[in-house]
Amino acid sequence: MELSDEDLCSRIAERDADAFELMVDRHQARAYRLAASILGNEADARDVSQDAFIRLYESAAQFDRRSRFSTWFYRILVNLCIDHQRKNRWWKRLSPLATPGIDDPDERAVDPPSSEAGPEEDAMLKQSISRLRPALAKLSPQQRAALLLQTQEGLTSREIGEVLKCSEATARVHVHRGIAQLRKLISND
Amino acid sequence: MATNHPETELIPYLRGELSADERARVGAHLAGCAQCRESADASSAMLSNLARVVDGVSEPDWAVYRSELRRKLRASQVPSASVRGRWRWRREDLRLPAFGWPSMAMGAAAVAVLAIAIVMHRGAGSAQAPSVDQLELQQELSSADVGLLANYHVVEHLDLLENYDVIEHLDELGPGNPRNNETPS
Repeated sequence: MELSDEDLCSRIAERDADAFELMVDRHQARAYRLAASILGNEADARDVSQDAFIRLYESAAQFDRRSRFSTWFYRILVNLCIDHQRKNRWWKRLSPLATPGIDDPDERAVDPPSSEAGPEEDAMLKQSISRLRPALAKLSPQQRAALLLQTQEGLTSREIGEVLKCSEATARVHVHRGIAQLRKLISND
Repeated sequence: MATNHPETELIPYLRGELSADERARVGAHLAGCAQCRESADASSAMLSNLARVVDGVSEPDWAVYRSELRRKLRASQVPSASVRGRWRWRREDLRLPAFGWPSMAMGAAAVAVLAIAIVMHRGAGSAQAPSVDQLELQQELSSADVGLLANYHVVEHLDLLENYDVIEHLDELGPGNPRNNETPS
């Protein structure tokens, strides 16, 4: 029978190296993608997501099962992303976030368009998604994290509140304002 | 009268996060508010596009990623022990015995004297002979240091919290001062 994340975390707290390897295997892709979406930089995403796993290893004993493991782990990851952005804020002003497909023409900008949509719709969708990345970079870290946790990880407002250490109502406000800001930024382009 | 639009509840409504009561209230509002319906549609489209942004992220070589992670984990464990060791050494070092702080005070005074002496020496090198004012200043500073040294037997018995206060008023420990005969507790 497959161990739950919560059980694996208990084993990691006992310094079970195999449990840690298995946990990394389960979460590395999601952690990396979420960090990349929040940070807008893949090299930083690799570093920060690895740091989150190290933090997980070091503090696994502190996981008290009051929330889901994923919520607890995302809290570690998102906090590290926000801290990283704060520390590098001055540098980010000088070097804007990389936008795949724009900064590097060889890099894939968006996912392959759906086969159901026509070529015009595909082009419009591709365009709107390519404009989303730089717009996302302009949101506050909390707004960006709230939106990405909701859309990419499927977290509820209550869970987003747990990750961001705020109330459910505040999490809803982050999501609402983030969406409103994105709409405004994209319509101004 | 201003209408209260349930702006922050529109997305939770679309995602089915609201309670039955909230859902009924927001649903009734949406039925009669074109502005909120338009906002809900636009938000829904935006969320759908946001979910696709992640697909633009290229994945790293996971074998390299794991190898880096293992190396970082090993590095984080080894230096943290030695850093903790160093920190413990520093803390223990700060927990000085009773004679430690006076010794440090004496050391600081000696460094100050040395610094003044160097400055004075440089001043002497640039001129033929020190002026009367310079000699007086030098004498005054030296006598202050001698006072500190002369009262070393008092200083070495001081508790930590008394040190600065007593050293500050060390000049009052002259032979005519009755407090000079008191023994610090």
